[in-house]
Amino acid sequence: MISCAIMEPAVQVENLVKRFGTFTAVDGVTFAVERGEVFGILGPNGAGKTTTLEIIESLQKPTEGRVSVLGLDVQSKASEVKARIGVQLQASAYYDYLNLTEILALLGSFYPNKTAPAILLEQVGLSDKAVNRVAELSGGQKQRFAVAASLVNNPELVVLDEPTTGLDPQARRNLWGLIKEVNQRGVTVVLTTHSMDEAELLCSRLAIMDHGKLLAVDTPRNLVNKLEASYAVKLTMDQPMTMAQLEALNGRVEVLQSGEQDDPGAEDGESSSAENTYLLRLANSPSALKSMLDEIAKIGLGLENLQITPVTLEDVFLELTGTELRD
Amino acid sequence: MVALTLANIKMMARNRQAIFWALFFPLMLVVVFGLFEVNGVGSADVGVIDQSEGPNSELLLELLNEIEFLELESDAMNVSEALDKVAAGDLGYLIVIPASFDDPAISSKVNLVYSTRNPDRNQLVDGAVRNLVSEIQSNGGPVVPSELLMADVIEVPEVDYFDNVLLGLLALGIMMNSIISIAVRISTFRNQSILKRLLVTPLPIWKFFAAEITAHVLLALVQAGIILALGVFVFGGHVHGNILWVFAITALGSVVFLNIGFILSAWAKSPAAASGMGNAVAMPMMFLGGAFFSTAALPWVLPEVAQALPLTPMVAALREVAIDSEPIWETWPYLAAMGAWVVVTAAGAIKVFKFG
Repeated sequence: MISCAIMEPAVQVENLVKRFGTFTAVDGVTFAVERGEVFGILGPNGAGKTTTLEIIESLQKPTEGRVSVLGLDVQSKASEVKARIGVQLQASAYYDYLNLTEILALLGSFYPNKTAPAILLEQVGLSDKAVNRVAELSGGQKQRFAVAASLVNNPELVVLDEPTTGLDPQARRNLWGLIKEVNQRGVTVVLTTHSMDEAELLCSRLAIMDHGKLLAVDTPRNLVNKLEASYAVKLTMDQPMTMAQLEALNGRVEVLQSGEQDDPGAEDGESSSAENTYLLRLANSPSALKSMLDEIAKIGLGLENLQITPVTLEDVFLELTGTELRD
Repeated sequence: MVALTLANIKMMARNRQAIFWALFFPLMLVVVFGLFEVNGVGSADVGVIDQSEGPNSELLLELLNEIEFLELESDAMNVSEALDKVAAGDLGYLIVIPASFDDPAISSKVNLVYSTRNPDRNQLVDGAVRNLVSEIQSNGGPVVPSELLMADVIEVPEVDYFDNVLLGLLALGIMMNSIISIAVRISTFRNQSILKRLLVTPLPIWKFFAAEITAHVLLALVQAGIILALGVFVFGGHVHGNILWVFAITALGSVVFLNIGFILSAWAKSPAAASGMGNAVAMPMMFLGGAFFSTAALPWVLPEVAQALPLTPMVAALREVAIDSEPIWETWPYLAAMGAWVVVTAAGAIKVFKFG
């Protein structure tokens, strides 16, 4: 971690608005990324994540508001900003007819301060592909190469747009390791993702965006802890419960989802005990669980199975946006 | 920018299929025109100056008119003007009937003037005119035909229709390659977000365009060299003027067509669309630009349209320097027209070009 007492934030976004005609892609967003962080912007497709990044990269002009990167205004000092940051775009964006070494050398030639292609390829574990072309790489290798390309100018900040989208689980883990390594060398990382586990695992802080608005900025743990209900409880009963019985379990319990519906073939609405499963959210207090169990005993129903899990970012997202986040 | 230009050249050289097909079309046309007897006799345009205007000369004119192969032009002109035209190739033949032609007392000779441009046709015309003159003159007695006609032959450099076509094909090939190659390439770059990737680097935008144009102009010069080499060394074409001027005009023309390619790439949503649009723009110019035949005889407003197209001054300038051995500055009206096209198309490209 670099000491950043006297340094400006890596990124400072103030009241950022971006409109395309009548459509508002980014709607009054304010946040700051400190140096040395891995900062994630989480949100579904169309949330305004990429537009926000493109303004940080000075690919687009803000309609309103101000964005500075490494203390430099992205509009008036675009060229200086570009020289000091590394960018990985969402789509793979490299020449077909050049090999990896040649692409890195070419990109490096655009910067005053550059790293040799061989060193970059070694950092991302692609030394044996130095004379291959991008088309010959696997999906995970392509993304690792994209990270290498974003490091060509020894950047102080790298901006990665959905670095792991479309990768298999192993390749994703591999890339997370790489991003952590880059960060450990002192490079600030800003990334967008619509993957909860990625956000939780990689990011020191998260901004949650939806419909162009910033809904929350905090560490993943704090975001979860702020939720009123911070445990998810899955009950499997020996017989169906009525809505009144469920609501009676605890005043603060929220019914998220009732168990599977009856098998259409079953007669008289009877269902097997395995199907009487209910998912509830429970407040984060020791007494809440006890009172729920007491209530079940009082009703006289048999409890076949009980699972308690901490709520996840998924729940945070649901709480903040009212919709589920889909990959 | 040097690194980007070199990378561009490397990429283009490695895209062998594109290079092959880009060159294939103009080279195929060179072969077609080279193999066919495009220098066939055709018809002969003959200017006639009748200084005699007597019954004999009128009879001669009448008989000449009956020969379908000869197209008589009896517009009033003076002898020196007409001789210049023959020398410049604007008039194939000139017949001067002397004032004494109808005076039986004087043995006068008809003067037939032609250039060395088309030896086959010269023989035919010379023979035909000689026979007619002999027929008329021999009414008064036996006369040796050779004494009746004085043939003046103007020595000109060896130029034939194939040489004209070769330069037309050169311009055509450069036009098609420049427009289509850049339109497809930029459209591909945009689809692959390569343009966006370059925009997030500090590379100034003008350097991107400069590197693309430089690499493509160099490619155009190589293509020009290959087309000319095939035409000259395999099919016996000629380049009389300074070859450097030919390359200079090629480079200037290439810039015009590259700019047009940039404009098309902005409108095309895919590389395939860019290729189609490139063909759609190039095809009319292929026929209206004067590459194969003169556009002066086209109907309606087409001759004016043809004059306004950018290929037309390029073809004309190439022919002036290569065939008429003019120095490049003598072709300034054409160069000015091409320069105007460079300015107009560059402004258009800057206006419509999109990176994202």
